[in-house]
Amino acid sequence: MATNNKKCLVKDSILEVKNITKEVNSPEGVLTIIKNINLSIDSGDVVSIVGPSGSGKTTLLAIMAGLDLPTEGSINLLGSEITTLNEDKRSQIRGKDVGFVFQSFHLLPRLSALDNVMLPLEISGSKHAQEKAKEALVRVGLEKRVQHFPNQLSGGEKQRVAIARAMVNNPKILFADEPTGNLDKSSSTAVSELLFSVNQSMDTTLIIVTHDLTLADQCNTLHELAEGELIC
Amino acid sequence: MLKGFNHGLRKFWSDLTSGDLLILAFSIVLAVTAISGVSFLGDRLKSSIKQQASVVLAADLSFRSASDLGAQYLELAATQSLGVAETVSFLSMVIANEDNLLSSIKATTPSYPLRGKLVITDFNGQVIEHGGSPKRGYLWVEPKLVEQLGLEQNNEMAIGKATFIVEGILQDFPDRNVGFLAFSPTVIANINDLDAMGVIQTGSRVVYRNLFSGSENNIGEFLENIEPVPAEIRVQKIDDIGDQLGRTLDRSTRFFNLAGLFTIIIAAISSMIAARRYADRHLLNTSLMKVFGASKNFIVASQVTQLILMILIATSVGLFFGYLLQSILIGVLKDLIDAELPSASFKPIGIAFLTSFCLVFGAASPYLKLLGEAEPIRILRNDFQFKLKNNLAIYAVALFTLVVFLLLLFEDIFLVSSIMGAMIMLASVLYVIGSLMVYLLSFFQSSSGIGWKLGLKNIVHRRSESVLQIVVFGLSLMFLMVLAETRTGLIDSWKETLSEDTPNYFFFNIQDYELPEIKAYLDQELDTATVFTPLIRGRLLSVQPKEGVLMKSGEMIDRESNLTWYDDIPDNNQVVEGSWWTDDAGNQMEVSIDSGIAASMGLSIGDQLNFAAGGTNFTAIVSNFREVTWESFAPNFFFVLSPELGRDLPQSFITSVKIPTDSNQISKGFVERFPTVTSVDLNAALQQVRSIIGSASLAVQYIFILALIAGILTLIASVFSSADQRKKESAILHTLGAKRSKIFQSAAAEFLVLGLLSGFTAVFAATLFSGFLSTQVFDLNYKPNIFVLGLGFTVGVLSISIAGTLAIRKTIYTSPVVTLRNS
Repeated sequence: MATNNKKCLVKDSILEVKNITKEVNSPEGVLTIIKNINLSIDSGDVVSIVGPSGSGKTTLLAIMAGLDLPTEGSINLLGSEITTLNEDKRSQIRGKDVGFVFQSFHLLPRLSALDNVMLPLEISGSKHAQEKAKEALVRVGLEKRVQHFPNQLSGGEKQRVAIARAMVNNPKILFADEPTGNLDKSSSTAVSELLFSVNQSMDTTLIIVTHDLTLADQCNTLHELAEGELIC
Repeated sequence: MLKGFNHGLRKFWSDLTSGDLLILAFSIVLAVTAISGVSFLGDRLKSSIKQQASVVLAADLSFRSASDLGAQYLELAATQSLGVAETVSFLSMVIANEDNLLSSIKATTPSYPLRGKLVITDFNGQVIEHGGSPKRGYLWVEPKLVEQLGLEQNNEMAIGKATFIVEGILQDFPDRNVGFLAFSPTVIANINDLDAMGVIQTGSRVVYRNLFSGSENNIGEFLENIEPVPAEIRVQKIDDIGDQLGRTLDRSTRFFNLAGLFTIIIAAISSMIAARRYADRHLLNTSLMKVFGASKNFIVASQVTQLILMILIATSVGLFFGYLLQSILIGVLKDLIDAELPSASFKPIGIAFLTSFCLVFGAASPYLKLLGEAEPIRILRNDFQFKLKNNLAIYAVALFTLVVFLLLLFEDIFLVSSIMGAMIMLASVLYVIGSLMVYLLSFFQSSSGIGWKLGLKNIVHRRSESVLQIVVFGLSLMFLMVLAETRTGLIDSWKETLSEDTPNYFFFNIQDYELPEIKAYLDQELDTATVFTPLIRGRLLSVQPKEGVLMKSGEMIDRESNLTWYDDIPDNNQVVEGSWWTDDAGNQMEVSIDSGIAASMGLSIGDQLNFAAGGTNFTAIVSNFREVTWESFAPNFFFVLSPELGRDLPQSFITSVKIPTDSNQISKGFVERFPTVTSVDLNAALQQVRSIIGSASLAVQYIFILALIAGILTLIASVFSSADQRKKESAILHTLGAKRSKIFQSAAAEFLVLGLLSGFTAVFAATLFSGFLSTQVFDLNYKPNIFVLGLGFTVGVLSISIAGTLAIRKTIYTSPVVTLRNS
């Protein structure tokens, strides 16, 4: 698949990835997950990362979000060299400016939808956490599910709660790892639309790892990984 | 960090009621209930037994000497807030109603006794008010004197040059000596009347005693201040009594400590399993918090806050139940314990809180550490390895802290270190055996029906978890079996000591010409072959070690001693070093010595002891050391001469017999027929010992029950802790078409096999461990108790199987969709 650059405006770079390599130990010896990845993402952009299973997409996403450290290379996220920062400093950046949505939702099973969305606000010590969380749930169309627990929600609803949780702190950049991977077609469409609306309304940079080519086609920029290397 | 603390506070109640923290709290409540129940009960019973034991001394500390001790120790003790009293005891003839009787005169100060009670009645049986000694010019006498001399209220009685009025009958008094020392009926007089009596002259045989009472700390401080005590003064504390009471106290205290220690270890296992489960399940939650910006300090502060709050609440609840439990048990025991139990101390409260903190943070620390080290995404993807070796330092610190804490708690280095060492060794052995058994199981898994096949497969495929469960189950079962065996052995040994056949009368001062007639009388009346032991009054003059200089002073030297001689070693003695003399050994001039005395005198085989007896001096070579069962009420001796030495020395004879308590004509008839023989009635003393042993036995039983409850709960907790994964698996099996009965069979098979493997290893380990404890700690003979081991094995296996099946029972009847959704 060819690189698809649909940039309309010249914007500031929000994320710079330089020579990122990630190796892990395995029973078969050292395994290279990703190798010499270089890319740059502009503020406000909607970027998709595609590739076959095992190509290293999720690993790259986690490293870019500061949730994991590379073996080699550097990441400049929002002006900070996060690869040189300790975990606490990276947590600080994440809490303030980064949102993350997982394929498996990862909602806390014993908290209601509202409590799950409030979590980042409580961590940052934000005032009026409950009101803000409710507002976030309304924005994702779940005003009637506020007190429901994850086991009482459908897959699409859970993912929308997860998006609300990721957005409640108004992050500058949102990472989404296969956000529609566990959803049916109609839920996938709803979630995709939600993500794009976040980008439109809040100018949040979106980086989405996905198998869904329909979703990938809607993004401004597309990167493809194969066997740990960036093809385009 | 403050934010984390606030977050932890805010979330505490919802986390507590949501499940995992509640389960951990519950396990802490159970652990603390068991620990505090044992601590409160043991604490009070130990104090009670010590109190009863101190009645034997009539004090907490006694100085005893053959010469006047003066006032120095009493004066010093009084300045250190100790209670003080003084007694002077000697033998003398008392004369009343134109008759006389050899009696034991005890002159006391008004503060006597410092422990125990004096009960004085008038001749109508009414209790009279009194101090620790009669007024000057008055006496209190034992019933035997009243009977033998035909005394009545206010009769006159002469002792030496003075005449007194008999004011009351001495019904009960402490510091009754057992064995030889209580050989005459007792008369209590005022210490200020001694001069008037004029009985004590230079060379008179008198026992001077200074008595002290106070707290353990004050007694200890007092002893430190006056050390070294001169060799001629014998210091006696409760623990040093050295007779059957001291041993009973020592053994029951050790059993309380053992049960308490086991309970804490078992509870520790159960709580750590629960804490590990809690931390494991919270990894996801806390990793997510990191994703959303929580710093390590925030997470740690939040988790620690919740854990501390949970510990405070759960421990308080556990203490309440523990106190309630021991109160119920005390209520049951109260009818059988004569003494008023002292109040519970605050020590168990401190123990409980310390234990809870150690257990929870010991188990949770590695997980908290992991949170700080691992990248959150790796935890979320389950892409981490919880490496034991990376956390060895934490576990080592936790174990070390536990050992130090247990040492401080139990104050018994030998017991604690041997238990902990044995536990680590046995856990390793169980691990090896468990691994081997799981490996061998893999050869059987294909050759069985589907239910069994799945059960065995689960054990083999979950190898690490299965081996861990075998170790946990095995240790818990082993502890319970060991406690049961030790308890049974202890109680059986006490029953033996105070069986119905225990002698209750001593007769001595029997001359050789009287022996045949006395033997014939007793044999006929008691329908038994009475055994008589020779008694030689002698004095150990000096000791000539094989290597070293002559010792002319020291313990036992230049003191009157009771000697005897035997052809054969008596049943209640056992040679532990050296050898007993034989008939064909030639001209033996040998002596056998009690091993305890030999150790304190620093004697070796081959040393020479120089004695004086019957007007002659002689030398005996130490040929062996004996262990003496002092608890038996048979005549026992520190020094036993060989026949060659002892046969020809001037001697009288003694014997101890059992006279049925409803046959006092026999003892009366004996006294009438053989008036020159001295008789000692031991029934009162025996009753005192029986009372103490009775309460110690019951206490041992109840503490065992508490430990048993803790052990069973640990088994159940560890079964339930592994239930989550099994629930998910059973739901998947259900969706794939497996019938409920097959799923049941699979779970039952798995736990039955785990139970059997654990049971076998536990029996093996328990046999080894019980043997060690019985012989090295409790000084008992050991023989495996097949009934106890078999019962423990059966109950353990059944408990594990039933608990395991029950753990997933609900899931089997719940829709699998619901289970999988909730997992």
